[in-house]
Amino acid sequence: MAKGPIRRDARRLPLEWLGILPFAVFAFLFLILPTLRIVTGAFQDQAGGFTLQNLMDLNTASIRAAYWTSIKLSLYSASLGCLIGFAMAAAVVFGGLPKRVRSPLLTFSGVASNFAGVPLAFAFIATLGPAGLITVWLRTDFGINLRAMGFNLLSFQGLVITYLFFQIPLMILIITPALDGLKREWREAAEVLGATGLQYWRMVALPILFPSILGTFALLFANAFGAVATAFALTGPQLNIVPIKLFAQIRGDVLGNPNLGFALAFGMIVMTVVANTVYIVLRVRSERWLK
Amino acid sequence: MTRFLAWFALIFGCLYFLLPLVGMAEFSLKMRRGEYSFDAYRRVFEDPTFWATFSYSLVLAGATIVMGVFLVVPTAYWVRLKLPQARPFVEFVTLLPLVIPAIVLVFGYIRLYNTSSWLPLTGSALGTDFLLTMGYTTLALPYMYRSVDTGLRTIDVGTLTEAAQSLGAGWITILGRIILPNVMVAVLSGAFLTLAIVLGEFTMAALLNRPAFGPYMQLLGANRAYEPPALAVIAFAITWGCMGLMQLVTRFSKHERAKA
Amino acid sequence: MMKRNLLCLTTSLAVMVSALGASAQTLAEIEAAAKAEGMLSTIALPHDWCGYGEVIAGFKAKYPEITVNELNPDAGSADELEAVKANKDNKGPQAPDVLDVGLAFGPQAKAEGLTQAYKVATWDEIPAEVKDADGHWYADYYGVMSFIVNTDMVENVPQDWADLLKPEYAGMVALAGDPRASNQAILGVLAAGMSTGAAPGDAAGKAGLEFFKALNDAGNFVPVIGKAGTLAQGTTPIIIMWDYNALAARDTLAGNPPVEVVVPKSGVLAGVYVQAISAYSPQPNAAKLWMEYLYSDEGQLGWLKGYCHPARFNAMAAAGKIPQELLDALPPAEAYEAAYFPTLEEVDANKAAVTGGWDAVVGANVAE
Repeated sequence: MAKGPIRRDARRLPLEWLGILPFAVFAFLFLILPTLRIVTGAFQDQAGGFTLQNLMDLNTASIRAAYWTSIKLSLYSASLGCLIGFAMAAAVVFGGLPKRVRSPLLTFSGVASNFAGVPLAFAFIATLGPAGLITVWLRTDFGINLRAMGFNLLSFQGLVITYLFFQIPLMILIITPALDGLKREWREAAEVLGATGLQYWRMVALPILFPSILGTFALLFANAFGAVATAFALTGPQLNIVPIKLFAQIRGDVLGNPNLGFALAFGMIVMTVVANTVYIVLRVRSERWLK
Repeated sequence: MTRFLAWFALIFGCLYFLLPLVGMAEFSLKMRRGEYSFDAYRRVFEDPTFWATFSYSLVLAGATIVMGVFLVVPTAYWVRLKLPQARPFVEFVTLLPLVIPAIVLVFGYIRLYNTSSWLPLTGSALGTDFLLTMGYTTLALPYMYRSVDTGLRTIDVGTLTEAAQSLGAGWITILGRIILPNVMVAVLSGAFLTLAIVLGEFTMAALLNRPAFGPYMQLLGANRAYEPPALAVIAFAITWGCMGLMQLVTRFSKHERAKA
Repeated sequence: MMKRNLLCLTTSLAVMVSALGASAQTLAEIEAAAKAEGMLSTIALPHDWCGYGEVIAGFKAKYPEITVNELNPDAGSADELEAVKANKDNKGPQAPDVLDVGLAFGPQAKAEGLTQAYKVATWDEIPAEVKDADGHWYADYYGVMSFIVNTDMVENVPQDWADLLKPEYAGMVALAGDPRASNQAILGVLAAGMSTGAAPGDAAGKAGLEFFKALNDAGNFVPVIGKAGTLAQGTTPIIIMWDYNALAARDTLAGNPPVEVVVPKSGVLAGVYVQAISAYSPQPNAAKLWMEYLYSDEGQLGWLKGYCHPARFNAMAAAGKIPQELLDALPPAEAYEAAYFPTLEEVDANKAAVTGGWDAVVGANVAE
């Protein structure tokens, strides 16, 4: 692989691209090709010809319900995650809390945002499930019966609450640098001009932060939309959301039409690509202010 | 007032995060009726399937880390040194795993690399293991790349390379003995994160039907009462341990640099 | 394309040859060929189901050269057939070799061409009503439908199907599988229907659907797959499952929490499962060896230890091959005397009614 001394010669440029050949081959085989296969498969019928039928077939009651539930789940967990994450990040950056709080919070957020999946479901069942720590404690010490009040962990609300465990930390991790970027000079300038704290937030800080917040909301949305392990472990394979439907379809053709799996996966790709594009565009926008 | 609100938000958040962890730990100790005991943990550690799946996932994590290092370090180095034009392409590729959900990726793998295709990876156990490792590598790619890239930014790649070449070093020597040691901190950081990701991963392993730790945890969760929270505690402890090691390694390197 | 055709041709030739030679191969020949293949892929065999954990361990101990690759233990019967279909061209470790499915799924698998014929050495001791004359599928074990109840969370243990509708069991009752794919759940619906007095078959299937609709509307039904884990964690304190699974769960939980296994007073349904070898099995000789092992005395007693009644139960009992302790540990015989063994047509009609009608009639969904 020895190529001799570096020569800034235009003629050598084609050879230099060989350096990223392994990476390109890997990316092609294991990232780009599978995605392309799904996109093309969504538009192919059994014989291999072009068809829009697969996408049309998505319009059954069960699949529509699955998409709607997935979207609702992602919207709820993303909005709540944004709100609570923002509140916590703001508390740490502006709230006048001791400096020592910040680093552990960020470290913990790093861990918690990766603690999704099967163990997370167990943790919540052990805490908020019918025989869980909090449920039993509330019932025996306070006489509050969560089930009688209509709360059930194995439900939509329960799933949202569980998803928040990795959504909130993700929000904290991303929004804290943005909050750091709010220069103190702006606050002081606003005070000099006579603005109250609330006015400062409403007219200066939030408009600047808005692209970041919206972008992170989109990221959280995509994150929740693609998550399957947590839901699978919590509510089992019967929950009607898109990733679990796709999971069942991959395991065995439960929908009775092998090409429908491609259409489902394609739908998921469209959702996550759109959401992530929104995030990236908004992040680039917001970085202008926060350089 | 602000401070009160801030404390309130922080404590509310901390409660939300700590209570499930406490609940999980407490439930895992309740295996013996009426008293706290480590019975659940003992059962887990006595289960041969636990060790089989855990070691399988460890081995695959090791393979993923090695693959990641061999893939990412030369590429990031080359892009920084010679091919800044390739940067947008490479960064786009490293963003893809964050955009495309794992379940979609593994669906593509199964359709592409089954026994009736040109690369029949799922036709054998070893082939499927290889495919799963590649899947894990794509999952870890964004973090590994960002970590190594940040690490490379702090060293003067161009000067180091020229110096090495003037002493007659070939590319492999440069990468292996000069670049890699200098970004070791970043590599280790990425490696620990990869370990955490691979150990907890469920979707790809379940759909490729490999005996990994994630599917084992899910199976136990359905069939047992007290072992699953014990497993969750173990999984969380490992994730935390990895992150802690990451922090330690980063802080250690900062001291090193400060001294120099 | 050519290669694929050639592969198909050789595979079908191999299947034909092995089918022809099914009776001609001796056990020694099968053993040698199986060891050469080196692997057996099973599917949908939870270790707590009929003592499969020990059965598989026994097989591994007897034939250490054969690795047992266990796929998806949580699969239902329909999922098993789908796995065979999905891996038609795949000779890798994701393709199952052997199937263990509900009675109604046996003829369905044969009709779809998913099975290959094989008659074990002890073929004649398997009752005729529960095996395919050509050897494509054959009964392995049976049990009766029962309730398992977590007595920590439930004060009055329900004794019959009608009890389940009482308001005190709000949010407590679950099936042990997905009623669109799992034989256990489908027959649970049938048993519920039969308890209302409907004739077994299509009528009881529809009556069962109505029962579960009422259960769901009353808020008593939990649309989650019930397992030992969920029973103890409290999410499904009452589960409708086979008595052998219930007894095995009771053993696993070892009193923490305490459980009670109840065979309902009415609607006592016996359910038979059948074994089959996949037509596309990548390791057909290992599959045949597995079948021989299962139907040998050792295999049958292994199932008996798991509280199941194996297919050769009557023949073996008559020959005195069953140890008394195992007989004593079984569920009481009175339940089995009252149990109804549905015919093939009845389970077929029920399966069609339940799998087709569940979503429409009951429509129970977690995300509400």
